[in-house]
Amino acid sequence: MTQLWTEKHRPRKVSEIVGNKEAVQSFLDWMADWEKGKPSKKAALLYGPAGVGKTSLVHAYASERGYEVIETNASDFRTRENIERIVGAASGMASLTMGQRKIILVDEVDGIDARADAGAVTSLVDIISKTHVPLVLVANDPWDPRLAPLRDACVMIQFRRIPKPSVSAHLKKIAAAENVRVPEDVLRRIVENSEGDLRSAINDLQMASAALEMGLVTGPRDRKDEIFTALATIFNAKSYNTAQEAARNIDIDHMELMQWILENAPQQLSPTDLAEALENLAKADLYLQRINTRQNWQFLRYAVPMMTAGVALSRKTSPSKFVKFTYPDAIKFLGRTKSMRETLNSISEKVGKKLHMSARKARTEMIPYLKIIMSHDGEELAEYFELSPAEAQFLRGGEVKKSRVKGRG
Amino acid sequence: MRPVNGEDGLSAADVKNLPWVEKYRPRRLDDVVNQEQVVEALKNIVVSKNVPHMLFAGPPGTGKTATAHAFAQDLFGPRYIEDGHFIEINASDERGIETIRERVKTYARSVPFGGIGFRLLLLDESDQLTDAAQHAFRRTMEQFSTTCRFILAANYSNRIIEPIQSRCAVLRFKPLSKDMVGTMLKKIAASENIKLDDSGVDAIYEFSMGDMRKAINILQSAASLSNTIDSKTIYNVMGVVSRGEIMRMLQLVLDGKFIEARNLLRELLYVQGYQPTDIVSSIAREIPLLPVSEQDKLRLMDLIGETDYRISEGGTPEVQLQAFLAKLALVKRSGA
Repeated sequence: MTQLWTEKHRPRKVSEIVGNKEAVQSFLDWMADWEKGKPSKKAALLYGPAGVGKTSLVHAYASERGYEVIETNASDFRTRENIERIVGAASGMASLTMGQRKIILVDEVDGIDARADAGAVTSLVDIISKTHVPLVLVANDPWDPRLAPLRDACVMIQFRRIPKPSVSAHLKKIAAAENVRVPEDVLRRIVENSEGDLRSAINDLQMASAALEMGLVTGPRDRKDEIFTALATIFNAKSYNTAQEAARNIDIDHMELMQWILENAPQQLSPTDLAEALENLAKADLYLQRINTRQNWQFLRYAVPMMTAGVALSRKTSPSKFVKFTYPDAIKFLGRTKSMRETLNSISEKVGKKLHMSARKARTEMIPYLKIIMSHDGEELAEYFELSPAEAQFLRGGEVKKSRVKGRG
Repeated sequence: MRPVNGEDGLSAADVKNLPWVEKYRPRRLDDVVNQEQVVEALKNIVVSKNVPHMLFAGPPGTGKTATAHAFAQDLFGPRYIEDGHFIEINASDERGIETIRERVKTYARSVPFGGIGFRLLLLDESDQLTDAAQHAFRRTMEQFSTTCRFILAANYSNRIIEPIQSRCAVLRFKPLSKDMVGTMLKKIAASENIKLDDSGVDAIYEFSMGDMRKAINILQSAASLSNTIDSKTIYNVMGVVSRGEIMRMLQLVLDGKFIEARNLLRELLYVQGYQPTDIVSSIAREIPLLPVSEQDKLRLMDLIGETDYRISEGGTPEVQLQAFLAKLALVKRSGA
């Protein structure tokens, strides 16, 4: 479990806000008016694209100046009553001079549902006119006609995308603080992808560094990085289409993608969600195997949704923490046990040859018994199968006692 | 214990301590048990020397491969392999149909001296070939049928494509009856100077069912532990083979340690080389003993049955078993 870097590296002071100097200054001016007791307008509407620091500014300012932020989300309240209960109560309750100073932050104002109570906007305007506390509204797109009354009641403060050099510089600062070395080309790609959205860039950086830690990201256009992105989509998608697209956009064998999903599912999902997700993966597996043996490629149209949307939509509870994706342990596992398996394979071939069966069959049908038999009659059977001393030892080493899994998590 | 030469046609080879599945393998068609119709048909062929392509279909451990060898020996004599009359290729060992074709080509190019005009080729585990590979193999069969006759062995005849089936005489091998398994085990036990009582036979059959190879393997495993074998010896041996680890895996899941259980599953599958069907059947045996409610036992039985079915349909054992374990994780421990 790791903390989200976007939380960990959130600006604590206004001076740490990246970019948008003008917007920051406008906000400071407006708050300064409040502190003098005579704001031109009692509310400010911070607007602009996602991830450029709108709410961060409010929080940074509050923590620096000792305000408490009462945060609400506009899409949480649907009716006028709710707005009055939540926002209204807070705004009337405390004045600037009594107790701890407060700022009310109403996020996603443009998320007010059109079907919601038509009075929601009027109600907000009403609260603004009466509030004794600075009221900050946040929106991505404030130009909806329904929001016109709000625009008139607020100081409009526009935020812009963060310029690429600033994103890049900030990512480097975080990487240094986290003590990870990110190759220049990976960094450049993250910056390009971010389109001025600093939050998503930081998330991508965390993702990429998790991959780096495992030595997965080696060069530009690295496919492991693509897999991580696809996994993030598959585990977080809310819609059938988004999840399914994830598999379409990467160049990877479906069976391998399934291994990645299978590996990461237990860490990403609650037990209930896991049971549903693995059931869907198991069904996808049946389709894929059928394709493998019978070349029934039309089954792919069922296999892919089952392994992508089947996982995404089984998630009912969202995680509170960021969990790193891991390399399929089955693959790591196979690496770790390589020499053991090579010995096993070589024994299987020898046994199979003598007993007229495939190595595969010898391994599953003979070796479990040979382990027992050979722990007593080892010499002669080893001779009969022409086993090397190491191979004979391998079989005897299985011993009659239960063999334990080597200590590993 | 000292191996003793087999009686009643069960001739032991000159090496002292063979694996018993090899030692007691039928050498001649007369030694083959339980497959009367197959044997009769093959004996007629030996007499007429008119050998068709054949498909041997039947469950594991019913004697398909052994019968093919016995047939070849009756047909070509004891040096049937050394003199190049008979060759066996294992479909699941070969890397693709091209390698198989190359080997068939080299082998079937000429006919050995002193034979009966053609060689015999056994393609074992032929249901492991994909449909495409089977179609390619069909052409190979036709191309070389003047110099080479084919025996295809498969667990499931329905996994062999229609065009091949229609070119073959299909001989079906039945799973061995309990009596047959018991008789055979007792014969071997007598020959090996081992005391095997009826409870031991019952216990072996419980695990092997009609799979003779498995039954003999269990017997030899038990014999390596003790000279007298009863049901307890067998359960002890099979516990070593799978039981202890399986229960431990299920307990881990019930304790909420899914990832540890998953690692153990992989260990069993990939390192220790357990047969997936053995893991499934062991789980089925453990379910009634799990500390869960009676209803949950029934539900789990249904779920493991579904898992078994899916694996037999070609599902990846690890994936299917993980899905089962994830569902088991939702079951509450009862009592305690």
